[in-house]
Amino acid sequence: MIKHHPTFEMLKAYVTGDLPASLAAGVSIHADKCDECRKQIALLTEQIAEVSFEPEHDPLHFGNVSDETMSVDFEQMLDNICSDDSITLTKPTEAKTITLRDTPYQLPRAMQHMEISSSANIGKLSRARVMLDEGEIHTSLLHIEPGGGVPMHTHNGFELTVLVEGSFTDEMGEYFPGDFIMLDGQHVHHPVSEQGCLCYTVANAPQKFTQGINKLLNPIGNFIY
Amino acid sequence: MMAVRQINLSVIGSSVTPKAMNDSAEHQQLSQWLISVAEQRDKLAFSELFKFFAPKILRIAKTKIGSEAQASEVVQETMSNVWRKAHLFDAQKGAATTWVYTVMRNVTFDLLRKVKSNREDTLSDDIWPIAEQSAADDELFEDHLASNNIMSVIETLPENQQQVIKGFYFMEMSQEQLANHLGLPLGTIKSRLRLALAKLKAQLGADHD
Ligand SMILES: [Zn+2]
Repeated sequence: MIKHHPTFEMLKAYVTGDLPASLAAGVSIHADKCDECRKQIALLTEQIAEVSFEPEHDPLHFGNVSDETMSVDFEQMLDNICSDDSITLTKPTEAKTITLRDTPYQLPRAMQHMEISSSANIGKLSRARVMLDEGEIHTSLLHIEPGGGVPMHTHNGFELTVLVEGSFTDEMGEYFPGDFIMLDGQHVHHPVSEQGCLCYTVANAPQKFTQGINKLLNPIGNFIY
Repeated sequence: MMAVRQINLSVIGSSVTPKAMNDSAEHQQLSQWLISVAEQRDKLAFSELFKFFAPKILRIAKTKIGSEAQASEVVQETMSNVWRKAHLFDAQKGAATTWVYTVMRNVTFDLLRKVKSNREDTLSDDIWPIAEQSAADDELFEDHLASNNIMSVIETLPENQQQVIKGFYFMEMSQEQLANHLGLPLGTIKSRLRLALAKLKAQLGADHD
């Protein structure tokens, strides 16, 4: 049962295309598994589209074009578009898979065309970077071997985890595929996965380890981020 | 507190209801144009869609992107996708405005990503699948298709509907491929598929409720 959902503001920014690719993909992975949010997204899309294309927002009617739009030759554009009679066929593509530590996973649809680096391992963690080039926002796939976990930590920035497969638990409870877990510096947690799992993670700063052996754990913070 | 509530109520009372009626006529008109483009490559219908949407898209894109040249690129790309992908629009699943909005949103997203992150990847169609609006009912129905032995039900359909259903679901051909394969207009394939699905749903509903 999914218990953790994106906020309304985040769903709205998803619909308007205002989230970075990393977070938009996170919402998409969640919505694939969450009927509730999928319905909410459909409704929001309908409403936002309606408002965006309202005629009263639009003083510049075609044929009565104001100075502002003079530089765009609509007639020319229309002719260009119609001169090509082909249509775009959508081919069903075979879902890509990724193998982390001998565990094969099917990539979520939102990630089908994302470039993913080869994986690196520390202990029971295995991480593959998703190359989105979004500056300080880093995106990864994180596989936890059965019995593994991430040491107690908090967050310098935000940390989004979307559970793709398997399950894990932390101080706040147990998580299931589709759970959308957005945390920040107010949260301290120690996720462990008994059966193993795959997470899609997005963070904008390294994790900060809160127990006494900081120096030993800091590399893991940079590893996960 | 009270004042706020009253304002909200008066907004709903005064403007939304009458407008919804105008809208529904407009929505039907827009949908009809899109369907004509899909089924007949109707250039006149497309030019009506273009007149309605292009100036609005230009305004929205300019607000979002700032640059006039890039905003005009969004208009060009969006309207060109509308022309080339109209067959993916399903009037039963949503308004034409919703569909065009998603096409515009995706074009804008990929363009901004190219500008900001310098990436040439096209992620939008994966992040926002074009069939997203339809997800709920169809999935349920596909489960029925997969989990039940429905060949016997399919064989009760007229031959021409059987062809389309079998091609679409068992051979995983797209509607366009079927149209080519059978030498029929896309519109005919669509309407046969729609008819066949309606019959199947009725039959399966009766069998499995
Ligand atoms: Zn949800």
